[in-house]
Amino acid sequence: MDATTAEPELLIEGHGLEKRYGGVVALTDVTIRLVAGEILGLVGPNGAGKTTLVDCISGIQTANAGTLTLRGVKLTGPASRRAKAGLARTFQYPQLALDLTVGENLLMGRAAKRHDTWWRMIWEAFRGCFLPGPRGDGEAVVAIANELQLRGLDRLAGDLALGEQRLVEVGRALGEDPLVLLLDEPFAGSDPSGIAGIIEVIRTIQRRGHGIILVDHNVDLVSSLVDRIMLLDKGRVVFDGDPQECLTSPEMQQVYFGGQVDLGGSGSK
Amino acid sequence: MDDPQLWISAIQLGCFFGLLALSYYVVLSGTGFFNFAVGPYAMVGGLFTSWLVIEKGFSLWPAVVVALVAAMALAAVTELIVVRPVQNRSGRNQLPALVAVTAVLFAIEQLAGVIFGYTTLPGEQLFNFQAIEIGSAELLPAALELIIVTAVVFISMAIWVRITRTGRLLRAVGDNRDAAALLGLPVNRIRIIAFVLSGLLAGIAGLLFATKAGVNSDAGLTWALDGFLALVIGGTATVWAPLVGGMILGILQVFIPYYLGGPSLSYSLLILAIIFFGLRPQGIFARRVRV
Amino acid sequence: MSTSKTALLDGKSLSDGRFTAWPRGVQANGNALIGVVAAVLILVWVGTNGYKQTLLISAGAYALIALGMYVPFVLAGSLSLAYGAYASIGGYSVALISEKTALPLWFGWIIGPIIAGVAAVLLGTATRRLSGFYLVAVTLLFSEAFQTYLSNASYAGGAAGLTSFRPLDVFGWEPSFDVLIGATAVLVVVVALLLNRLRLSAWGVVVRGMREAPAAIEASGARVPMLSLVALAIGAGVGALGGALFTQMNGSIQPTTFTLNLVFLAIYMPLIGGTGTSWGAALGALIVVELTLNLPSLHTSGTLLVALGVLVIMLVAPRGVLGYLDLGRKEVTRLFRRTGSRQ
Repeated sequence: MDATTAEPELLIEGHGLEKRYGGVVALTDVTIRLVAGEILGLVGPNGAGKTTLVDCISGIQTANAGTLTLRGVKLTGPASRRAKAGLARTFQYPQLALDLTVGENLLMGRAAKRHDTWWRMIWEAFRGCFLPGPRGDGEAVVAIANELQLRGLDRLAGDLALGEQRLVEVGRALGEDPLVLLLDEPFAGSDPSGIAGIIEVIRTIQRRGHGIILVDHNVDLVSSLVDRIMLLDKGRVVFDGDPQECLTSPEMQQVYFGGQVDLGGSGSK
Repeated sequence: MDDPQLWISAIQLGCFFGLLALSYYVVLSGTGFFNFAVGPYAMVGGLFTSWLVIEKGFSLWPAVVVALVAAMALAAVTELIVVRPVQNRSGRNQLPALVAVTAVLFAIEQLAGVIFGYTTLPGEQLFNFQAIEIGSAELLPAALELIIVTAVVFISMAIWVRITRTGRLLRAVGDNRDAAALLGLPVNRIRIIAFVLSGLLAGIAGLLFATKAGVNSDAGLTWALDGFLALVIGGTATVWAPLVGGMILGILQVFIPYYLGGPSLSYSLLILAIIFFGLRPQGIFARRVRV
Repeated sequence: MSTSKTALLDGKSLSDGRFTAWPRGVQANGNALIGVVAAVLILVWVGTNGYKQTLLISAGAYALIALGMYVPFVLAGSLSLAYGAYASIGGYSVALISEKTALPLWFGWIIGPIIAGVAAVLLGTATRRLSGFYLVAVTLLFSEAFQTYLSNASYAGGAAGLTSFRPLDVFGWEPSFDVLIGATAVLVVVVALLLNRLRLSAWGVVVRGMREAPAAIEASGARVPMLSLVALAIGAGVGALGGALFTQMNGSIQPTTFTLNLVFLAIYMPLIGGTGTSWGAALGALIVVELTLNLPSLHTSGTLLVALGVLVIMLVAPRGVLGYLDLGRKEVTRLFRRTGSRQ
């Protein structure tokens, strides 16, 4: 939601992004834009390039061409550098340390940035051995857990259901205190009450002024939640604009149904 | 480089390493696992035979059969009792099975020491040939039998892998266990066959090589390492690749100390391993491999 | 939305922000207490008996080497067999300081781990894309190459090694052998304690996360390749301490002192004792030393028992001794609590 007085800050801007894997073209001439407090949805069929785009933004992959900036500064380098610049993400399949506790998994997000140079790593190791831990760590983890309504911080992450694991991953991302959150399929595998919980979390994050890019298959769900939607097909952006318009647009019909279809109800793939 | 005796030595080593690498190859093809325990299987093949003949007065061929059966049995036990359960439990994590197989290596080594003693026993020559003269060098009957049997084994394996159903399934199962299971392939049976076959091959290798310089109970680790190196150098594209890798390793092990002095071998092997594993882990004859 | 902290933590409050305030912290302190008590009891048992003192030296050195392997292996998931080399570096540092310089011997104790750390970083960089079987093979070759180097290094006494050191001199005080024995136990206890704290700290959490979800850790801001190297370096340093200890107390060192057998045993020690805590490595060392050095030869070898024992544990009791004791403790406390505690 825009602030009433000032223009919201431009966070992410990307032009002409291209990504090839060997002979396969995953992204072509992709333009993307995100402002603070905005939720941008990325939808499209399997193989459209949604996760590839998120990978290229977050640094897990590097785009072959195009420019990408965060608050005007070029986004380059490995994922760790981009995290320091203010990105955080979740993964299509939750990447959690399954034999660590929920609390420890949340802590990872907060503590990871302190391990970016070798001297800081050695200092952290020294501190870990000899000094008490920073009070802020525990308080931050508890605050995040509160916000996400995660209980039982000493449960093992491996014992959680998939939906709750995704929530922990979101919590880890929040621990980084990022400018932009990239959420890859946060709803997949959750039941309706779980989905409602995640939606509430996303709105809370939005209210705090973060920018959010949301990838998911469920177009209905996404379009009810986001401010703007981007439809990808075979690596290209075919629609970029209002979610409701997107649902009834010819582009949507082309991409998902391969032609004109009378959309009687809300059933879409 | 023209001393025939050195070449004979290199070829002997090459045959031995090749057989060990083939033993690794069979298990790797069928299960995707590096069975470090082939070193001790080879040791058992040689040491058990010699011990039966020398200490217990067995005649040669029964002793050979007993020893080879023992090697195969150890291989079967390795798969059934150690590797399969541990792998089932640890999923994609390679380390537990790796650590477990090293424990098997040590257990066999120590067991052999306890049963067969810790002294080095000489190897048993299987066939009676005349020594052949090549220039200034002498091709001893033991070396000749190693070379001939190696050739026979490799040719047989090449045929087996192509002709028999099990042979052709070997690779299919090893590449993707889950897919193979879904397709209804007999994954567990193939695994056991792969392990037992590797035990046999390693046992034969140890048996033949023992004649070169004797065999004792703690040869297992060194031989395991040699075989692994030979396999990685040669690659896994064909049945013959392990032999190529073995020959290269044999040549290196003979000629590097000769030209550069004894210590250089360790350094050279280390550097070679770092380069090869890092840059071309798939070996000379390549299939895709993940280090 | 609830803002009550205590509700989330099942009644335990955060005292200093460390996660050790959670039940895991209680367990960590409990283990430390048991470790200290056990060390005291062992020292009492050893007394001034020369033979038992030799056992303790071996146990202490093995424990430190196992603790050294614990950091990269258990925390970071990377198995390296170069620990014989690192222990040798530690031992030879002490020996060379004694032989070639007039510096007090404790210099060797400091320089050895540093050199070992540097060696680990170099080896780790050369092998950064390797893992599993390939890494094991390369580190094995490294151990052998290093041993060959020592055997041919005339400044280090070649194959005969170095013997007869000056006594350890700490600013004028020359502790007696018995005092040093006590110091051995203290050293092991301190190192185990520090490593356990490290495991539970933010560093430890990030490193353990790196083992299982490296992409996520990298995407959260930690430089994974560098962090692996730091973990390797720390482990090598601790291993070198073990070598320094062994050499100092035994008064001699050869290239073959720290054999490959020892390195493999050092892998098995945390597995036997329990990988959930660093104390498991120490307990495992005690068990292994007992089996391999102290059992009278009853028609079997100690190493065989250890190898078989490890296999049994990996198959049947993968949490190791301490893991099962801890499970038992949890069950007992649950029985005592009577209130249905939510786990």
